[in-house]
Amino acid sequence: MRFERWIYSIPLRLRSLFRRDAVEHELDEELQFHLEQKTQHYVAAGLASEEAHRRALRDIDGLELHKEECRDARRVSRIEDLVQDLRFSLRTLRKSPGFTATAILTLALGIGANAAIFSVVNAVLLRSLPYPNSEQLFTLRSNQSLPDLEDIQKRTQSFSAIGGVVVQALNLTGDGEPVQISAGFCNADFFSALGVQAAMGRTFTAAEDSYGGPGLVVLTNGFWTRFFGADSAILGKSIHLSGNAYTVIGILPRDFWLPGRPVDVLASVRVGNPVAAKFRGVHFLRTYFRLKTGISRTQTDAELQNVDQWLASQYPEENRDVHRRLLPLREAIVGSARLELLVMFAAVGLVLLIACVNFASLQLARSATRQREIAIRAALGAPSGRLIRQMLTESVLLSLLGGAAGLVLAGLGVRLLMTLKPAGLPRISDTSIDASVLGFTFAVSLLTGIVFGMVPALNATLFGVSSKLKEDARTTVGSASGYRLRKCLVVSETALALVLLISAGLMIRSFTLLHRIDPGFRTDNLLTMRLELPESRYNEQPKQRQFHRELLDGLNSLPGVQAALVSELPMSGDHLNHNFVIEGRPRPAAGSEPEVETRTVAGDYFRVMAIPLIAGRDFGPQDQTGGLHVAVVNHAFATQYFPSGDPLGARVDWARSDPPNWMTIVGVVGDIKHFGPGEPEEPAVYDLYSQTAQQWKRWMYIAIRGNISPGILLAQTKQQLWAIDSQLPVTRVFTMSDVLAASLDHQRFNLTLLGIFATVALALAVVGIYGVMSYAITQRTNEIGIRVALGAQHQDVLWLILGQGLRLALIGGVLGIAASFALTRYMSHLLFGISPRDPQTFVAIPFALLTVAMLACYVPARRAMRVDPIIALRYE
Amino acid sequence: MSKPSDLVQGTLDLLLLKILTLEPLNGFAISIRLKQVSGDVLQVSDGSLYPALHKLEQEGWIKAEWRPSENNRRAKFYSLTRLGRRHLEREAHNWNRLSAAISNVIKLEEA
Repeated sequence: MRFERWIYSIPLRLRSLFRRDAVEHELDEELQFHLEQKTQHYVAAGLASEEAHRRALRDIDGLELHKEECRDARRVSRIEDLVQDLRFSLRTLRKSPGFTATAILTLALGIGANAAIFSVVNAVLLRSLPYPNSEQLFTLRSNQSLPDLEDIQKRTQSFSAIGGVVVQALNLTGDGEPVQISAGFCNADFFSALGVQAAMGRTFTAAEDSYGGPGLVVLTNGFWTRFFGADSAILGKSIHLSGNAYTVIGILPRDFWLPGRPVDVLASVRVGNPVAAKFRGVHFLRTYFRLKTGISRTQTDAELQNVDQWLASQYPEENRDVHRRLLPLREAIVGSARLELLVMFAAVGLVLLIACVNFASLQLARSATRQREIAIRAALGAPSGRLIRQMLTESVLLSLLGGAAGLVLAGLGVRLLMTLKPAGLPRISDTSIDASVLGFTFAVSLLTGIVFGMVPALNATLFGVSSKLKEDARTTVGSASGYRLRKCLVVSETALALVLLISAGLMIRSFTLLHRIDPGFRTDNLLTMRLELPESRYNEQPKQRQFHRELLDGLNSLPGVQAALVSELPMSGDHLNHNFVIEGRPRPAAGSEPEVETRTVAGDYFRVMAIPLIAGRDFGPQDQTGGLHVAVVNHAFATQYFPSGDPLGARVDWARSDPPNWMTIVGVVGDIKHFGPGEPEEPAVYDLYSQTAQQWKRWMYIAIRGNISPGILLAQTKQQLWAIDSQLPVTRVFTMSDVLAASLDHQRFNLTLLGIFATVALALAVVGIYGVMSYAITQRTNEIGIRVALGAQHQDVLWLILGQGLRLALIGGVLGIAASFALTRYMSHLLFGISPRDPQTFVAIPFALLTVAMLACYVPARRAMRVDPIIALRYE
Repeated sequence: MSKPSDLVQGTLDLLLLKILTLEPLNGFAISIRLKQVSGDVLQVSDGSLYPALHKLEQEGWIKAEWRPSENNRRAKFYSLTRLGRRHLEREAHNWNRLSAAISNVIKLEEA
C-alpha cells in the first residue's frame, strides 16, 4: 500500500525538487488553460470578451496565492526547506566573509588536529591486526626457549598453532657491498599461527623445520622487491646469508607484518640457529599462540598452569617460578602506547572544545547583530522552529566546511607526525586518512555544528524575540543574555587553554631536565657502528680475537683517533643480562640467581667513552687471554652488592657456567645512562672479549672518538675494516650525539604535539578574549562617552576595560588551575624529574596566560580610550 | 456558491475522485462536471480546485498527463489510479455510513 503510493509520489517529488522550472511552467500552463476555458465559457454565456476575462480572473480569486497552495501541495517540504536554508546560509555567509573565514579556520584547526590524532589512534589502537581472526592470537610477555615451546605444544590442546620467532641480523653477501639484513628464525607453525601463506611458492613444512634440515628461506615482499626487483626467477635459487646458502622457496604477501623489528627473510630456527635452539635456558623466541575456536581463556590458563608446573618439576633450573600468562597479541603490541595516545587524544579534544567555544562565541556575536533581521522574520510569521533550523543549518554548514578544511590540515598534520618519527608507537607507519578517519571527522563536524550552533540559535530565538523590535537598535546590540553567555564562554576557554598550557609546560620542564642530564660519558665527537662476525667464518674465538686486535690496531693507527669495542652500546636499545654469583656467598637456587647487565669490551673502552674510573684500575694490556680473568663493575653494582665493603678483589661468575670462569673485580667505573637519559642505570659487569668464554658473542659496536668529520671517519673506518674482511657489512652508523637525540625522540614527539596543541589553544583563547572585549566596548561606547564627558581620564577608561577582561581571565585561570590540578596526574608517566603538580609550572604558566590575556584586552581597551565623547553621545 | 471550507473535511477529495471514475478530465472540465452532476448545488471555487488536485496527485490517487483537449489545446488531464479507486471505495463507504447516521439523527422527532 505504502509502496504503491511511492511509485506515484517519489517520481513526482523528485521532479518538483530537481525540475522546478518545468514544474512551475506546467502549473502556469494549466492555470492559463483554465482561464481561457472559463473566459470562453463566459463569452458563450453572452459576455464581452474583456468582461469575460475579468470574471474568469475574479473567479479564481488570488491567482498567485493559489499557485503557492499548489506548490505547497507538491512541496517536498523538509528537503526543500533544507535546500532553501542552505541557499540562504550560503548567501548570508558570503555576505560576511570575515566571520565565515574566522569560523571555518577556527573549526579547521580544532577538527584537523583531532582528525590527525584520531588517524594515529585508529592505526595504533583501533584497526585490527593484519592477521585473519586476529582476536584469536595471543602471546606470552616473556620470550621462550624452543624446548619449552615444544613441551607447551605437546602438553596443550587449546591451540591450533604455536609459533615462535627470533629476529637476528644476518649478512647478505653476493655482488657488491655486503649488507646486513634482518632474518626471522621461526618454527614451521609460525606461519599457521599468524595465518600467513606464501603469495608465491610456499613456506617450509614441519619436516623441513628440523635439525640439519635443508637451508630454505622465505622472502618478505619488501625485501624481494628491494633486492631482487620483484623477479620471480629468484624462486628456487640460493642466496648467501652469513656464509650459508639458503634456497628461496617462497615470497610472503605484501601485507605481511611482524610486530616489533621488521624482517626481510624467514628461515627455520632449527636449521639456522641450531645451537641456541637446543638450549632450554635460551629464552629467545617471541611467541604467537592461536586459540582454537570455542576455547575459553579459563581453559587455556588452566592448561598453561599445568604445563608450568610440569616444566618446573622437570627442569627446575630454567623453569622455577615461571608463570606463563597469555596476553592478547594486540594488547602486547599496543602496550603503554595506549595511555600515551589517550592523553594526546584528550589534549586534542580540549583544543577542539576551545575551537567550538570560540565558534559558539562568534555565532553569538553575529546573532546579536542579526537580532533585528531575526525579529523581523519572526514578526512576519516565521515559526521559531523554522528560525532555529535556519540558524542550525548555517552553523552545520560552517562546521562541515571547517571539517573539510580540517581534513586538509589533518593530511598535513599526519605527514608532520610521520617526520617526527615516534619510534615508540607501534604500527604508526600505517597511519593514513582512511574511511574511519573520514567518518570520524564528519561525525565530529556535524556534532560540533549542531551542539555549538544550538546555543546561539536558542539564544537568538527563544529569549525575547518579541521585545527586540520594540527596543532601539543600539541597545539590542548588547543583548544581555548573549553577552553573558559569551563571557561564560571566554571563561571556559581560558580555563581549557590553561589546562593544555600547563600540560605542555610540564612536558617542556621534563624535557629540559632530561636534556641536562649527564649521561655519564662524553657524547661529542664519537662515532659508533655495529658489526657482526658471521658464524661460518668466525666460530672460533682465536679468530674473533684476532679480528678485534687487527681492527683496533688499524683504527688506532689513524691520526687523532681512539677506538674501542663494546658489545652493548649505551642508548642503542641493546642490553644483555646474565644470572651471576659472587664467590664466597651462599648460592641461590639454580634459576633464581640475581641478574646483572653484562657488557664485553675490547681496547681502551672507558677512556674512549670518557667513563670515569672510581676505584681500582682500568682494563690494561696485562689482561690477556689465558691470564687472570678480570672484570670491572659499575657504581650501581658496587653499591647494590657491596654496600658496606669493597668490591675490588672479589670474584664473580655467570651462574652455572661450565667450566667455572671466575672473574676478579679490579675496578669500579661511573654509572652511565645506558637505557636513555630518563632511565636509572642497572648494576653492570664489564668483561673482556679477550677473556670471555662466550664464543657466541660475535657482535660488537665500534666506538671511535676523533676530531674529524664523521663522514671522513666512517670512510676511514670502512677502509680499515674491509682491508681485514671485505665481507662484513657495517650497520647502525650514528654519532653518539645522534643516538642521544634519538633516545629523546619519544619525549620530543609528545612534547611537540602537546606544544602545538597548547599554542593553538592559546591562540584560540586570545582570539576569543579579544573578540568579546571588542564587542563589550562597542556595547559600552556611549557609557564610555558619558564617562569621558564627565571627566574620566584615559587611564580610568583603560583600567575600566582591562579590569573587565582581567576579571574574566582570572576566573578562567582559577578554574583552569583547578582542572589541571585534577587532570595532570594522568600524564605522570610522560613526565621526568618533576611532579605532575610541579609548583613552578603551576605558577609560571597561569601568569603567562594572564599576561597574554591582558594584551588581548589592551588593544580594544586602547580603542575605547580614544572614544570621542561627542561622537559617542551623538549615537544616542 | 458553497466554498470548499463549507464542505465537510475531505469531501472535496471524495467528489473529485468520484468525478474522475468515469473518464480523464482537465481541471476546468472537472469544475463544470461537478456543477452539472450535483445539480448546481455543489461548486468548488476555481482557486481551491487546483491545490486540491495537486494534493491528490501527490497522494498517488490520481495521475496527470498532458494531451490535447476537445478544442485541440494542450491541457492537463487527470485520471484515477488503482490506488485512488481503492481509496474512493473506502471513502465512499465511510461517507454513506456517516451521512446515513447523520440523516437518522436529523430525522429524530421530538417525543
